[in-house]
Amino acid sequence: MLIQILNGLVYAGLLYIVSVGLVLIFGLRRVVNFAHGGFYMVGAYAGYTAAMVFGFWGGLIVAVLVLGLIGILLDYVVFRPLQNADHMVTVLVTFGILLVFEDVVQMIWGADTLSVLAPYPFDGTVQLGDILFPVYRLLVIAVAIAVALGLTLWLRFSRAGLYVRASSVDALTTGMQGVDTEKLSLSVVGLGTALAGLSGVIASPLLALSPSMGSSILIESFIVVVTGGLGSFAGAFIAALLIGQVHNLGIVYVPNVASMLPLLLMVVVLILKPTGFARSYS
Amino acid sequence: MSDTYMLEATGLTRRYGGFAALNNVSFKLRQGEIRGLIGSNGAGKSTCMDVLTGRGRNQQGTVCLNGQDISRLSERERRAVGLSRSFQKTNIFPELGIRQQVQLAARKAEFDNTEEVLAELSLTAIADRTASDVSYGDQRRVDLALALVGKPKLLLLDEPAAGLTIEESLAMARHLRNLAERWKLTILLVEHDMEVIFAICDRLTVLHLGEVLTEGLPDEVRANPEVIRAYLGSTFA
Amino acid sequence: MSNLSMAAAAPKVRTSTTPPVLVVVGIAVALVGFVLPWLGLPRNILSLLTSASMTAILATGVGFLVRQAGFSSFGHAAFYGGAAYLLVLMSVYTGLSGEAVVLLAPVIATLAAFALSFILLRTQGVAFSMLSLAIAQALFELMMRWRDLANGEDGLRMRLPREIFGLKLSFFQKADTMFLVSWSALIIIIVGLVLLSRSHFGTLTLAIKNNEERARFIGFRTLMPRAAIIALSGLIASIGGTLFALYNGYITPGLLHWSLSGEALIIAIIGGTRSVWGPALGAFLFVILRDFAGNYTTHWQSIVGLVLIAVVILLPSGASGAVSSLVNRIRGGRDV
Repeated sequence: MLIQILNGLVYAGLLYIVSVGLVLIFGLRRVVNFAHGGFYMVGAYAGYTAAMVFGFWGGLIVAVLVLGLIGILLDYVVFRPLQNADHMVTVLVTFGILLVFEDVVQMIWGADTLSVLAPYPFDGTVQLGDILFPVYRLLVIAVAIAVALGLTLWLRFSRAGLYVRASSVDALTTGMQGVDTEKLSLSVVGLGTALAGLSGVIASPLLALSPSMGSSILIESFIVVVTGGLGSFAGAFIAALLIGQVHNLGIVYVPNVASMLPLLLMVVVLILKPTGFARSYS
Repeated sequence: MSDTYMLEATGLTRRYGGFAALNNVSFKLRQGEIRGLIGSNGAGKSTCMDVLTGRGRNQQGTVCLNGQDISRLSERERRAVGLSRSFQKTNIFPELGIRQQVQLAARKAEFDNTEEVLAELSLTAIADRTASDVSYGDQRRVDLALALVGKPKLLLLDEPAAGLTIEESLAMARHLRNLAERWKLTILLVEHDMEVIFAICDRLTVLHLGEVLTEGLPDEVRANPEVIRAYLGSTFA
Repeated sequence: MSNLSMAAAAPKVRTSTTPPVLVVVGIAVALVGFVLPWLGLPRNILSLLTSASMTAILATGVGFLVRQAGFSSFGHAAFYGGAAYLLVLMSVYTGLSGEAVVLLAPVIATLAAFALSFILLRTQGVAFSMLSLAIAQALFELMMRWRDLANGEDGLRMRLPREIFGLKLSFFQKADTMFLVSWSALIIIIVGLVLLSRSHFGTLTLAIKNNEERARFIGFRTLMPRAAIIALSGLIASIGGTLFALYNGYITPGLLHWSLSGEALIIAIIGGTRSVWGPALGAFLFVILRDFAGNYTTHWQSIVGLVLIAVVILLPSGASGAVSSLVNRIRGGRDV
């Protein structure tokens, strides 16, 4: 049982990192980035290739940087020119980007699944009670906690973080003194996509790489974001924890209908509380 | 003076956390009266309109329309009993034709006087155009037409003159006065433009920081030192 | 009489109702469709057109939801594939008659759409899209993993009697005859939706889409009309799916996959959702171009992605909008 809960935490951690990137971008731009799963996938593949030269950790850094740059580009080329358009237009554009990315990844890396080994020194196992547990999985949990802590500190104590929080509560919040909103949105969107890249690399030793890996995590992270309340950081954290467990326990105990469980959880939450867990505050 | 008022608002209150946007506001409107609701920004005018029409949650106090307690009714049900409003921010149906949307509003009003309303608001000539295609001033009048159709018992107007030129505002004010007399409307009017207010209102209620500062005839209010200090400033001193 | 307006009355302009020329063209296109099977077209072309007309039905449902309620569904494969699965599953697992199976499949899918609409309507804007995607994808995963039920990714063959509705089953499985069935269904759906959009219900739902709050303030309920539009859109998609299952006699989870949902939405947008018939036009363009492009490139998906981006930014009224303004220009009218 303990091992199942731990596995659920591992998946929750991964889901959290993907979802919180979506929340960051939504909070500032009011747009749900449908290409986010594509970025996660590109991160995994970029990390895979870069790891051949720089090793796993070097690959991770390269992937995060590349995805951060893609995010900055995305904000500059897509989100900013379309900021006064209907949000649905922007969402559809990100959907188009997703299609192109999937195709390009398939062109470069092929459609076959690729696998990645857990990096040294996290490639062993650890004795937990009477079971052996892969160390790498514990590392994933630790990375998710580090991301959550770092984001919380940034949101609470930096001026930019304060602005991001205010903006995700109220879209109409206008420019705050001392914050260059244009520059801020570049870095927030960049941070959001960099987190997608990070999660892609972190996930690759756990799950195989394939051009469709992005869409499955994207859909569960959508469930996380809606359950948590669009734009809510704390909500995404709680929802990721819950859905990670539900997802994992479902696969173990009721494999046939496992995919329905996160959805049912979300439906129950939405019926009880239409705004999701939290009303948009960090 | 009759015993039943067209509108009796008692103890209207809306709090956001510890902050009271509207605190224990009460006033009464007689049938046929045009009442101005004035106050500086943040005084609670729009909140008061929202509470009267049931827009948004968390509100205390009672609202009686023509003797009937409507405090628990939804926005939709309040319209059905004859309470209608226009909006400060133009709030129309951009994809619908002008006549089409006024007719739609008329379906739920006591009776259909779409053509009369269109004519009164000089919208007849452009009635077949799509609302998003006409000018801002025309759209303001479409907003008004949606509230006015069916001659509601009580009409709440939230800054109908916003964004209009001085001449347009005064023309609108005179026209509203004229309409109110002919159609026996009772109107609660929120307006920034003091010239409009003084041109058409029978009585004024002044809100300040969410509470009623004073109420009276326009001339009394204009002369009230408290009002001058809190709101009107030196312009009318 | 005093007058509120300072501005001079604007000249009367033609409104945005469909120009009669388009109606004539539409009737002509509909009639041409009915004679197509007798023109001696190659079999593969006819079967391409048959699948295109089913995709057109799906896209019409998706597009009508955008047009009439403003919701962009990323999950309509749930209704299309859902009805197809219902049909095949019922034909395999129940003793119901062939007719009952064919009729019940879309009815159940529509009831499901109606029930789901109350959950979807608790969200707004883009959350609707996210939720619809999540629901459809959960159904996809369900059919993939629950191998005992529908054979997972290997798919399942339908088991219907040799005759339904007094016709041989092969009538529904040959391109030339099935094209007539699905083409008729498409025409009936489009005509029905055009009439509906001009009724009071059409005006009301458009008003709610434009401004839900004001619709309440002028005295209308706004939940049920929106739920009805979602259910209607689900019904249309499920009719498409039912026809697909009948025609192919075989289902796989691909019918539920998000890429089909996304494709339907893209088709609707490329075709143009301002008109009822735009998505159907988009479907024929899309299916024929995909077949054509298949000979030259393997990067159809990139092309679709780029075309989608171009259309939403540069041509928001889509192909049907372009056709409408072209027709107006030919008539010498103003470009409305």
